[in-house]
Amino acid sequence: MTYRKIAGLGAVMVLGISACHTDKLVNVNEDPNNPTSAPPQAVFTYATRISMQRWYGSNPTNMRGPVLTAQHLAQVQYPDEDQYLRLDGTVTNNSFIFTYAQELKNFQAVIDAGTEQNEPLYWGPAQIMRSLIFGYVTDVWGDIPYSQALKGDAEDAIILPAYDAQKDVYAGLFKDLSDAVTAIAGAPSSAKSLGGADPIYAGNKLKWQRFANSLRARHAMRLANVDPTTAKAQIAAAIAAPGGLIASNADNALMKWPGDGVYDNPWAANNRTRDDHRLSNSLMNEMIPVGDPRTGVYAQPTLCFTNPAGTGCPANPPQYAGMPNALTAAQAGNYSLTSSRPGRVFYSTNRFCSGCSGLTGASFPSFVMTYAEVSFILAEAAERGWIAGSAAAFYEQGIRASMEQWGVTSASAINTFLAQPSIAYQGGTAGQRQIALQKWIALYTDGVEAWAEWRRTCVPATIKPGPAAIINTVPRRYQYSTREHSVNASNVDAATSRLVGGADTFQARMYWDSAPTAAPTYPGASCGVR
Amino acid sequence: MTKYVSRILACALILLGLAPAAALAQTVVSGTVRGSNGSPLANAVVSIQSLRVGATTDAEGRYRFTVPSTAPGQAAVTVRRIGYLPGTATISLAGGSVNQDFTLNVSATELAEVVVTALGVERQRSKLGTAQQQLNAGELNTTRAQNLVQQMQGKVAGVQITSPGTQGGSTNVIIRGQNSITGNNQPLFIVDGVAVSNANRGGAPFVGSNTNFDYGNALSDINPDDIETLSVLKGPNAAAIYGSRAANGVILITTRKGRNTNGRIRTELNTNFTFESPAILPTFQNGYGQGAEGEFEWLDGNYGGVNDGVDESWGPKLDGRLICQFTSPGAGTDNCQATPWIAHPDNVKDFFRTGMTASTTLAVSGGVDRAFGRLSLGADNVRGVFPNNLFQRRTAALTGTFRASNKLTADGSVQYIHNGGRNRPGVGYSGRNPLQSMFNWFGRQVDIEALRDYGKGGASNGGPTTREFNWNYSYHNNPFWQMQENPQLDDRDRLIGSIALNYKVANGLNAQLRTGSDIYRLGIQQYYNRGAEEFVNLTYNGGFRFVNDYRNDNNTDLTITGNKQLASWLEVSAVAGGNLRREYFSSNSQETPGILVQGIYNPSNAAIAPTIAQQIVRREVQGVYGSAAFTLNNWWTVEGTARNDWSSTLPVDANSYFYPSVNTSIVVTDAIPSLRGSFLGSLKLRGAIARVGSDAPVYSLVPVFFGNAQRFGTQPQYALDTRLANADLKPEITRSNEVGAELSLFNNRVTLDASAYSKSTRNQIFDVEISGASGFDKKWINAGEISNKGIESLLTLNLFQSRTGFSWNTTLNFAHNKSEVVDLAPDVQTIVLGTGGFGDVVVEARKGEPYGAIRGYKFERDDAGNILVEDGFPVRAPSLEVLGSIQPKWTGGWSNQISFRNFALNTLLDVKHGGKLYSVTNMFGEYAGVLKETLKGRENDWNDPGVVVEGIDVATGQPNTTSITAEEYYHGLFGYTERYVYDASYVKLREVRFSYNLPGSWANKFLGARAASIAITGRNLRMWTKVPNIDPEFAYSSRNDQGIEVNMSPNPRSWGFNVRIIP
Repeated sequence: MTYRKIAGLGAVMVLGISACHTDKLVNVNEDPNNPTSAPPQAVFTYATRISMQRWYGSNPTNMRGPVLTAQHLAQVQYPDEDQYLRLDGTVTNNSFIFTYAQELKNFQAVIDAGTEQNEPLYWGPAQIMRSLIFGYVTDVWGDIPYSQALKGDAEDAIILPAYDAQKDVYAGLFKDLSDAVTAIAGAPSSAKSLGGADPIYAGNKLKWQRFANSLRARHAMRLANVDPTTAKAQIAAAIAAPGGLIASNADNALMKWPGDGVYDNPWAANNRTRDDHRLSNSLMNEMIPVGDPRTGVYAQPTLCFTNPAGTGCPANPPQYAGMPNALTAAQAGNYSLTSSRPGRVFYSTNRFCSGCSGLTGASFPSFVMTYAEVSFILAEAAERGWIAGSAAAFYEQGIRASMEQWGVTSASAINTFLAQPSIAYQGGTAGQRQIALQKWIALYTDGVEAWAEWRRTCVPATIKPGPAAIINTVPRRYQYSTREHSVNASNVDAATSRLVGGADTFQARMYWDSAPTAAPTYPGASCGVR
Repeated sequence: MTKYVSRILACALILLGLAPAAALAQTVVSGTVRGSNGSPLANAVVSIQSLRVGATTDAEGRYRFTVPSTAPGQAAVTVRRIGYLPGTATISLAGGSVNQDFTLNVSATELAEVVVTALGVERQRSKLGTAQQQLNAGELNTTRAQNLVQQMQGKVAGVQITSPGTQGGSTNVIIRGQNSITGNNQPLFIVDGVAVSNANRGGAPFVGSNTNFDYGNALSDINPDDIETLSVLKGPNAAAIYGSRAANGVILITTRKGRNTNGRIRTELNTNFTFESPAILPTFQNGYGQGAEGEFEWLDGNYGGVNDGVDESWGPKLDGRLICQFTSPGAGTDNCQATPWIAHPDNVKDFFRTGMTASTTLAVSGGVDRAFGRLSLGADNVRGVFPNNLFQRRTAALTGTFRASNKLTADGSVQYIHNGGRNRPGVGYSGRNPLQSMFNWFGRQVDIEALRDYGKGGASNGGPTTREFNWNYSYHNNPFWQMQENPQLDDRDRLIGSIALNYKVANGLNAQLRTGSDIYRLGIQQYYNRGAEEFVNLTYNGGFRFVNDYRNDNNTDLTITGNKQLASWLEVSAVAGGNLRREYFSSNSQETPGILVQGIYNPSNAAIAPTIAQQIVRREVQGVYGSAAFTLNNWWTVEGTARNDWSSTLPVDANSYFYPSVNTSIVVTDAIPSLRGSFLGSLKLRGAIARVGSDAPVYSLVPVFFGNAQRFGTQPQYALDTRLANADLKPEITRSNEVGAELSLFNNRVTLDASAYSKSTRNQIFDVEISGASGFDKKWINAGEISNKGIESLLTLNLFQSRTGFSWNTTLNFAHNKSEVVDLAPDVQTIVLGTGGFGDVVVEARKGEPYGAIRGYKFERDDAGNILVEDGFPVRAPSLEVLGSIQPKWTGGWSNQISFRNFALNTLLDVKHGGKLYSVTNMFGEYAGVLKETLKGRENDWNDPGVVVEGIDVATGQPNTTSITAEEYYHGLFGYTERYVYDASYVKLREVRFSYNLPGSWANKFLGARAASIAITGRNLRMWTKVPNIDPEFAYSSRNDQGIEVNMSPNPRSWGFNVRIIP
């Protein structure tokens, strides 16, 4: 009897266990929180937002990096990045990783979904954005994973992608942009638009084409010294492509921030709680002596100018002033009252904005690519004789576009500014310097582009490492991510060995930065050397 | 009173469906239990096991219980008591009363002791082939801590317990080293057969906004006064039958139960009242006040004046000179009347207050033969050492047994717990941690008393109108305002319940069906007032964050246990069973950094659209298991266990995994009795081999997109997971071998229990960092191996025992564990467990190093070891290097029990030797010039004589002669990790208890109790360590990134009183 009971219990147990099918276990492990596929529009919004926060924010890729190496701003406290101290591969590691994993991969996901759904107005803009970001990445690091990148989940997964030569990356970008423009231009009227999910152009086909073509021209001009043939051909192709270039400030690629306290302009978000930056002497010294009307937009009056009776203020304090880059912390602190904070358009509270009210900095747009930049590209192309047209006219058009973009409306002030002998276009090599200088000034807030253009042109030549900088040259690239050195060592080693000097240093030059003497604007090898 | 209590008990029993059954012709069994020397023995358990009846002896050694009329004629009565050999007698149950006295012999060994083993099975120590250590209530409750796990500190060899870094925070428990690279390394906790969650919402040294509070671990809900015994199964060997959750060991808790008291009600009371204060505070300098380069003058506390936004103490000498300060009359105007510039040496100390803890448990128990139970009510109130910080816990526990028939018994248990915290301070490097400013950035001249009146507002001394009155407006909040005006509330309501049906199939064969659930709801509300620096968007009037967690872990087990003496020389005991485990966890949160109307913390008042998030976690594991133990001739036991699990988190075609184990124990002195003598009392040898494992994290097989409830304008956002899913995951496997010996010498005066073990975990499941260029940050893989090898021992010495009633017992425990990360994934040298926040220190699982290697920057040195100096500053090495590991060389405890008649003194020293830590408190304390050592270089004036760094000048090759200011020097040390890495060794006087036991007769006469005692207790009274300024013991949570100290709140030192009444 006892054994019958045991058998009975055993049977109950076996039944009990087998009743719980393994099929059911599978259901238990289905994630109820997150889907396995998502609408491409929502992915596009995310990827655009996260990219713009990174490349126009308080990161080592903007406020704590290129904006300082391009010497638009300087650090008045905690001047570590200004001293190039915290720009090494450890600190910039995440910038590299998450540019790929959060930005490029999600644009890729939109491209893949858009291609699969045959929706060119989904994948076209995504491919243009991917090209924009790849452009940033290659201009910061040099040779980068491009053709094998973003394939960690592919059928033939590539976990350790090889690094493409920068030359090949540029060639790829020209093609990617061209393909995107062709697809967008040829999209049938039934094609679905990104619409409101697109924070830059709200799905406007023509503007996306113009942006893509302008981006192609930007990349082309970067090759001006090293490969003028390609540069010239690509600029011509960009102009001729469907839609042409950005033709007015209305076409500008602007990242529009909701300014709702959640997604604010990243400079404004940073300036709400931090007071680490002042305008750099390098920038102010080019603007103040010539009475540049943008000065009061780019910069705030100094604290001592606002409150001359304040403790520690000198007699006759300057209204606007910069400060030197890369001082020691103690030296830098001395400039807190006598140099200018970034302009009030970058503030949403009056905390670090003296006497400010009605601030709208939270929703101030980030300038991704502008009519002014395009005009300066055309001016340089005309000066080099690559395109028809007057370099002087393009140059003046660029300055006027920039003034308008930054809210300078007084025509007389602009005319007076333009009429000055040092501003009026001089042509030739001097003209090229003028174009480069005005472009660099106009690129304020666009750190990577300003830094890249300075590296290409060495204008202004006053940019040198500050006295407390840890190296005596302005960085010409970032070091590769420490993660890459540890997990993708053989590929990053191969890329490193191709660098001039064969070591992963700040000093090694880009492919397009490798023939300095070819640049007519260059003072020589002393460019950017302390 | 008694009447009232019995009514409660009766109601409670009825509620449980356990109404007492009427008894007919019963047999009352009673008698006295004495030791061989004739003295009565209290606490002996007398029972008829087959009938599940019994009682515990009182102080006079008397026992009495009733046997139901349905019982058969003959029954075996057994008596067991720790330290004595068990006794047995056969009685006949013919109704009426039976008197049965026992005389027990002192056991030559502790081997006769009965301990609770895996699955709650009680077994004799002599038959165990694995290592475990058991604490009884008295050992556990020597003193009172906020979390019962802390009460185990220093008492169990090989168990490393780290106190929380903030009052009420999480306690970290590691048994025999960490096994899993990035997974859970905490043991499984089981209360009366029910697995209970020890989940924590802990903080972290350097993590973003969401985890800057440490809400403690859920095990702090268990009332220590309800615990009868606590068994630590030290690893996979002892816990193998728990399968996939056994890798980190198991802590088995058995709660107190009622007994048949023939209807009498027994009352027990335990009450503690203690005072707490911070055990250590940094030693600050009092020579120089706030400022930079020797200068300071207040205007608006935000760089408007001279260095008045600077939050460092490199200002003017505190010599009483007149300087405009934040407290000066007219501060903030042109008419500031300068006031004397003097130090406020106690301005940090005076921020804290004396904490107080009052905890009381009142329990009643009793019943009749067929139904009995225990009801306990506990209340703990803690007034924290931080102003306005409070904790409270209410517990109600009810257990009952109902014997439906001689074959069928039902046991029920339910505990309700409310655990709440009010205004916890934040932890880690966060503006929500008041110690971030107090320990590092607090001007030495700041008058803390002036800050108490924060309500007069920032405008009163030139600060912003929207801010509270403060000493600085550029970076910090007023610490009192932080604690008073930013309410933080957390409440956990928890129900732990189980019901078990036991059916006696035949003699020696029982079946049990048990189902139990651990259910809780945790609500967290964080309110931030206008101006709260880090959380609130300063354009708005405040912000909030709400979290609601719900957890339900259910376990159902069907087990059959059998015991049979197959022959006079062979005894078999076997278990077979099945387990179904279901886990459900959900968490909802809402937060916004901007609200409209100040003080209304409601989503309807959000000015910035709140972020809403939801997470649901489900897991199901099915398991079947069995074990069989064969004992030959009562001295050789061989046991084997086996378990197979099916987990929902693994790929469907590979979700089954099997774990076997085998262990053996030989009582050498029983096998060869001639060995036994006056020197050697007993010797037992044991050995075990086991294999266990763990399943994968949930939802790691299929890639997903993450949504974001916060819309971009009006647009939804979705992003691909940056972790690459892996559809081919396998379970982690831990293999463990151990051997051990237990021996007693000199008539049991010396006992030693020693173990050596070796275990390794392979196929580790972790998310390895991959090339970001692949499009992913990390990927789930199976790879790597961690090994832990070690020894542990427990030595008990009965040093002295006199006839006059004086005795002295001492216990030493010691454990050494060697951890090694043997292998990681191919091409992976390291897995980062945590970072220091400034890129200068990381804690890693690094190949070839112990788990938890600390890496950072060293000083650059020449071959002779001299520091290299350039322009007066030390040179920093170019890359991160290993500076040590968090693993201690050894841990131990030394406890003493000295008693004289009714007085007893218990002490416990807790020792951790070796292991390293990195201290941000010291790093920024030097950077900001607040610590005493930063006076170096400014003995005369702020930059006089300055610092000449001892080292070799790289330019000249000669000793450095360049002088730099102290300010430059200590600023220059930022990022020199080596300087702030310390030997984390400590010795702590963990527990002291001086007690007086009331004579039994008094207790009985005046309190109706078996025993009563009053005591003075103390915890953490002294500490010896080499680490300056901080307590080297701190945990943020059960996270794996320990070892980075960031402005931790020091462990409280506490002392107070305890009253106990034992029924």
